[in-house]
Amino acid sequence: MRDYEIMTIHRPDLTEDEIEAKITELESYLSDSGVSVTKRELWGKRRFAYEIDHMSEGYYSVLSIHAEPGAVDSIDRRLSLADEVVRHKIVRPGE
Amino acid sequence: MPRKNKRTPRAVRGGRRENYRRGKPKPCAVCAQGGALDWKDASFLRKFVSDRGKIRSRRVSGLCPRDQRRVATAVKNAREMALLPYVSIR
Ligand SMILES: [Zn+2]
Repeated sequence: MRDYEIMTIHRPDLTEDEIEAKITELESYLSDSGVSVTKRELWGKRRFAYEIDHMSEGYYSVLSIHAEPGAVDSIDRRLSLADEVVRHKIVRPGE
Repeated sequence: MPRKNKRTPRAVRGGRRENYRRGKPKPCAVCAQGGALDWKDASFLRKFVSDRGKIRSRRVSGLCPRDQRRVATAVKNAREMALLPYVSIR
């Protein structure tokens, strides 16, 4: 088991409630796949340093998890396929 | 007529450039904070990029070799997540 951080950017046209729901959905997906979420941070809407697909802002959130290295690939795939996720990144903390 | 108090040429005086970085070297900005570095902390990382968004060289940043590398990776991660610009026109 290792620690990872998942940062996601959700589309700015969603509401705060929808973001909340999407993150909760992601968390239940994680716990269903045997991953424990140790911390949840919702940064709220933040301006991008540059435009991404004609968007200038997005909702940032960071989940800290404890997972088997193999689990990361499927999380990564899931986030890549999610339309509401503009961008995401999974890293080992302190890297 | 030869001058009496002719100064010894600089090179002869031990070969060291004087008045240059005397005393203790300044500790690296990351080491000074206990070595913790968070790529998500864009305002901290901004210290290590120029106003055009480029990563400052080790000579300018004053970071130790290890932290110069870590800061560079952190800046690259932050850029990917649009927390820092790749280039900025200002
Ligand atoms: Zn250092």
